[in-house]
Amino acid sequence: MERLCLCKWNMSSKNWKSAVSELLREFSFKTTTENLLQTALETRELADPTVIHEDIAIPHCRSILVDDFKIIIGKSDKGIPWPKEKVNVIILFITPVKPSGPSEHMELIKHLAKALRSGGAEKVLSAGSPAEAASILKLKYEGNPGND
Amino acid sequence: MIRELEKLISLHDLDIMISDLVNKDIVKQEKKLGLSPDLAASQLRKLRDELSLTIDRTYRDLYDQLAGHYGNAVVPVINQMCSGCFTQLPTAFCASPDRNDRVETCPSCGRFIYWCD
Repeated sequence: MERLCLCKWNMSSKNWKSAVSELLREFSFKTTTENLLQTALETRELADPTVIHEDIAIPHCRSILVDDFKIIIGKSDKGIPWPKEKVNVIILFITPVKPSGPSEHMELIKHLAKALRSGGAEKVLSAGSPAEAASILKLKYEGNPGND
Repeated sequence: MIRELEKLISLHDLDIMISDLVNKDIVKQEKKLGLSPDLAASQLRKLRDELSLTIDRTYRDLYDQLAGHYGNAVVPVINQMCSGCFTQLPTAFCASPDRNDRVETCPSCGRFIYWCD
């Protein structure tokens, strides 16, 4: 099944915390939910920054606060310190906590690992549009205002 | 939402993250991506302990008991139903406008419950 994703092109954030916040805002969560997810994602990054490949970060968590997969691809041409190395592409995802356990979360990580291998990461970094980036990651771009 | 309830939700999310990072299959995939799940898990345990100490002891002890018994100690209320035990909650219980401004437990299973805003 093709998973849906949002995109945020031309991100304006200058540090990783505000980048997480900028991306979370795109989902239009209510304030408390957004704040708690921000805390969860920040905690994960503080434990060990999720920079993979050069120039790509994948902040992620599983949370009881979402009932479906939330995936967003962010892009910044100037780069965002994460917290030391600059990244140009951010793939943020939150997966729901289900009684079936973490299998779907694992499947999504596996899916991304596969898509980013064998040149996928370079292609995402040079993608010219949200739809192209989503397609490289084998995700379906939902379309969100101001990103096409 | 009352701060204590927010902390319990964060503690639950942290426990989920830690359990994921010791799951063999997830560790394998994270390593393939170039991440360091072992380091992340040990750091998250430290952060979990720090957060846990800031929670009222009564709630903290209850959280640990519930997590040990059910695996999940905090659950959302969906359609007036506890999503842990699927018991319908009394209407009066759900109708309160300040329902997330106090720490509530499910009258049936005892899990901490919160309402999605």
